[in-house]
Amino acid sequence: MDSEQLNDKKILNQENINENTNKNTKYRNLTFKIILGLFTFLLLSLIIAAISNVLIKGIAGISSSIRSPEIQFSIKLSLITSMISTFLCILFAVPIAYSMERLDLPGKKIINTILNIPLALPPVVSGVALLLLFGTTTFGRKLASFGLKFVFDVKGVVLAQFFVNISYMIRILKSTFSDIDPKLEFVGRTLGCTQFQSFMKITLPLSKNGLLAGTVITWARALGEFGAALMLAGATRLKTETLPTSLYLNMSTGDIQYAMASATIIILISIVALLVFENVGSSKGMIINKVKGGNHD
Amino acid sequence: MIELINLYKSLGDFHLKDINLKIDTNEYFVILGPTGTGKTVILETIAGLYNPDKGKILFNRKPINKVSPEDRNIGFVYQEYALFPHLNVKDNIIFGLKLRKIPQWIIDKKIKEVSELLSIDHLLNRYPGTLSGGEQQRVAIARILVIKPEVLLLDEPLSALDPRTKENFIRELKKIHKKFNTTTIHITHDFNDALALADRIGVMKDGKIVQVGTPNEIFYKPENDFIASFIGIENIYKGEIKGENGIQELKIGTVNLKAKTDLKGKVSTIIPPEEIILSKENYRTSAQNSLKCSVNSIYTEGKLIKVEMKCKNLIIKALITKYALKDLNIRVGDEIFAIFKTTSVKVYKTS
Repeated sequence: MDSEQLNDKKILNQENINENTNKNTKYRNLTFKIILGLFTFLLLSLIIAAISNVLIKGIAGISSSIRSPEIQFSIKLSLITSMISTFLCILFAVPIAYSMERLDLPGKKIINTILNIPLALPPVVSGVALLLLFGTTTFGRKLASFGLKFVFDVKGVVLAQFFVNISYMIRILKSTFSDIDPKLEFVGRTLGCTQFQSFMKITLPLSKNGLLAGTVITWARALGEFGAALMLAGATRLKTETLPTSLYLNMSTGDIQYAMASATIIILISIVALLVFENVGSSKGMIINKVKGGNHD
Repeated sequence: MIELINLYKSLGDFHLKDINLKIDTNEYFVILGPTGTGKTVILETIAGLYNPDKGKILFNRKPINKVSPEDRNIGFVYQEYALFPHLNVKDNIIFGLKLRKIPQWIIDKKIKEVSELLSIDHLLNRYPGTLSGGEQQRVAIARILVIKPEVLLLDEPLSALDPRTKENFIRELKKIHKKFNTTTIHITHDFNDALALADRIGVMKDGKIVQVGTPNEIFYKPENDFIASFIGIENIYKGEIKGENGIQELKIGTVNLKAKTDLKGKVSTIIPPEEIILSKENYRTSAQNSLKCSVNSIYTEGKLIKVEMKCKNLIIKALITKYALKDLNIRVGDEIFAIFKTTSVKVYKTS
């Protein structure tokens, strides 16, 4: 009995202490949460204010601007170049990402770092590098004589977009492939697949979502590519004038209405791409493409 | 016939060292060893996922070191089944048949045959993610059986199954082996599985094969302490089966037990200590065996308590929890009843 009472007292004391500390931590944590919220709120306001300001100005004049031949040209050029460069990115990124992920290559780490350089470089620098390679070397002149002229040409726009985005695409696909258990391919091979067949019939279908997400994000980035394209292909009205170039040209000549129209179109496309990317990204987990474990006992 | 000759392979932490094995055609060979001894690496090397660092693999006397996995005609079933998640059960099963451009009517026939054999005919339109472990296992086996591999490699096929599914599946594996007669190499860390299935067993330790023999040879003549303790021999007896159908009488010396087996005459038997229930009174239970014993000794073994008892001239060991020991208040010299089911009396051929 005695010891029980003593215990009760102890518990009561404990509760008192708890109450006090609870009050304190409650306020402490509330302040912390408010600070967290404040930072998020500040950034959110900045993003929303900046974007909506452009949209409000742009959408008003978009119907008239969209009829101008210049805007029409830049939309068309942007769509065509971005689609071609995105296709090229897929074409290169699939085999490269796959070999980086699945093959035992000597010097894989170094190769990997080199493949990531375009991602780390500012696009303007990439553009200058490409300009020097294709504009000033015999190699570039030789290519130009075969019809592959990149400098101050639409092909340069495509090359610039490709160069700036390829590392990005490789990264996305690498993480997609690494999520797929290599055992699946190996089982495919014991069932009679060649290495290529098991890639086509197993890994590729399982990478569908990653591939789609990568394509959308690459395409959106290609649409907005400016720095590298400016250096390599220049900003010639109605020749190498993509949407961002048009925005730049019209801003510099004070044609605010056209500039806002280009900006609005890019913003809308980017937001749609972001939504697609986030949705595809989240549904990725629905395919259980990673078989548990992986012990080699 | 598969022969591994002086095979070496290092892969991360796993090292196969000087593996020499000869597996006969149609044999059911079990590789038995604790986790982390490189058992899976052996299978993966046989299947062609890795090249051995040293040594040779012969398949029907021809070296296959340089042969691609797709040309080896060796089927592999991973512990985690590795079903293709983007294909339904039916497409998983016919994956190999389609690659071989087999006419549709033969494919249809084979699906019917194999899905009935493995009782998965009702699952054909489901996706692997919606199946239970046991069901996935069946699909994985079906997928490989339809292409009639010359060798079947099974990597811990029973370890992820619950006890009942496991027991069924052992029966199924036996049935499959009887029907197709495929040379099978099965990996396990459970001696009871090996006992139930193997024609011969290869015991592995630290990347080496330490003993090869029939279950009886391994059991009665374990080559060293490691093998003896690994297979956990306890409560092994020699006896004789009397009676004919269903539940048989098993006579061990002067003690009579009830057991379930198809074997007749002289047999060996094990009663796993963890399957024995102790009771101070002789209750009537669904378990058919109840032996009146006296407690010889009591000692701790890991987290459990081992109680050694004597029933006439038979020494029986049982594993119980510390709590049960306290609760039953068992002391040396006490009279106690050892109760166990007929299915706990594992009977197999004697050497």
